[in-house]
Amino acid sequence: MNQQTVEINLPNQLGYERVAMGSVAAFANSIGFPPDRIEDLKTCVAEACINAVQHGNKNRPDARVIVTMGFTDNVLHISVFDEGEGFKETPKEPDIVRIMNNLDPPLGFGVFLIKKLMDEFEFQKLPDRRNEVRMAMKLRK
Amino acid sequence: MQQQPNEVTLQKQGEVTLLGIKGDITAFSEPYLNDAYRNSNSQGAKKILFNFEDKAYINSGGIAVLIQVLAQTKRNNQLIGITGLSDHFKKVFHMVGITKFAAIHPSVDEALKAMSS
Repeated sequence: MNQQTVEINLPNQLGYERVAMGSVAAFANSIGFPPDRIEDLKTCVAEACINAVQHGNKNRPDARVIVTMGFTDNVLHISVFDEGEGFKETPKEPDIVRIMNNLDPPLGFGVFLIKKLMDEFEFQKLPDRRNEVRMAMKLRK
Repeated sequence: MQQQPNEVTLQKQGEVTLLGIKGDITAFSEPYLNDAYRNSNSQGAKKILFNFEDKAYINSGGIAVLIQVLAQTKRNNQLIGITGLSDHFKKVFHMVGITKFAAIHPSVDEALKAMSS
């Protein structure tokens, strides 16, 4: 974190991802990201928050979701922290044909979209036992 | 943070059943989309056009709900169209593969024309 880093502390409840979406949109707009990339960012931060609420914090009402965003070296970095165990491995890509035929559950779209829309995506378990999902998008001029 | 309930209108436009869906599409939309689909079926719908709001927020939970409805339409051999989406969600629907099962149309009028032919 540096002096320009923005941090948002959210209740662990679906719907509050909209607060993070509004914040990342305002942040990215102030830097000069174009509208279509801001829409991508909104979707990705929303999906990371939803995963944090449901899968990381397992819908626990006392848990929190922390979102940080910063801009360095022409790259917008976003991290979403939860208090869960984190991913053991990257979820497999959803196969819509198998889902439509009831062979797979309709899961995995959030991480799939983040990987498609962002330039970088990774996750890690931190020493303080929190889980961090990190994403980055380059500003192209 | 509560989501507003979806408002769904059902209209017959020739042989196409037009479902106008107002509001965000998330996991909370499940009962509204399922009810709308059941009501369409009770009227014998063979062709269904989903008309979303272009300002709607759609997330992975909403995509999952929509795909579950589309799976039912596939089993029932119904023709499905989608319209009203913003450019961003047109891209998202294409990425996740929804366009393999439902055509996205630029407007209600163009959808009705394409689906009626």
